[in-house]
Amino acid sequence: MLTLGKSTTAAHRRYVIRTMAFMSGYVAVNVAAIFGAFDDIGNPVAAWGLALAVAAPVAGQIWATLALMRESDEFVRALTAKQFIVSAGVAMALFSAWGFGESYADAPHAPGWLIYPLFWAVYGLTSPFIKTSR
Amino acid sequence: MKNRLKLLRVERGWTQEQLGQALGVSRQAVIALETERHDPSLDLAYRIAAVFERPVEEIFENPHAG
Repeated sequence: MLTLGKSTTAAHRRYVIRTMAFMSGYVAVNVAAIFGAFDDIGNPVAAWGLALAVAAPVAGQIWATLALMRESDEFVRALTAKQFIVSAGVAMALFSAWGFGESYADAPHAPGWLIYPLFWAVYGLTSPFIKTSR
Repeated sequence: MKNRLKLLRVERGWTQEQLGQALGVSRQAVIALETERHDPSLDLAYRIAAVFERPVEEIFENPHAG
């Protein structure tokens, strides 16, 4: 996670560099999509290639987080795990609720890729309040 | 877990950064230990005891002691 305020350890610096590298790829694909770069993609193989291309940085980010935990001390490891679990859990709960809202309450459709930005939004809101390893 | 970590560190004139280096943990971890936001593992507790050359129970209050 991006705890830049106290990111003074070598492990944190490596994590920030890795995160920025993966996120730049993720943002680049999404910005290109927003500006219609893939609107005319007709070939299903190419379309699935695009889908995997946007998923790869997400997987990379998971690796970066696991690497941070491996390279950090026990407190940072525990805190990172707790923040990640809370963020993932809340994001999944919200998205599950929305999915049922779509099915049964005529909620507007939310595409599945929104789960990742939702995860980070929840992380940003919850992690400042997660300060203990217990 | 209640502890005397800050007191012992200040007695020696060490910064949190210096203690972290001696223990092989981050300053964040030292802060969390001093403010009782992290209960150390047995391994870390013994490392702390070794750095301060005191028994573990002189540094950490045993919450299970009668």
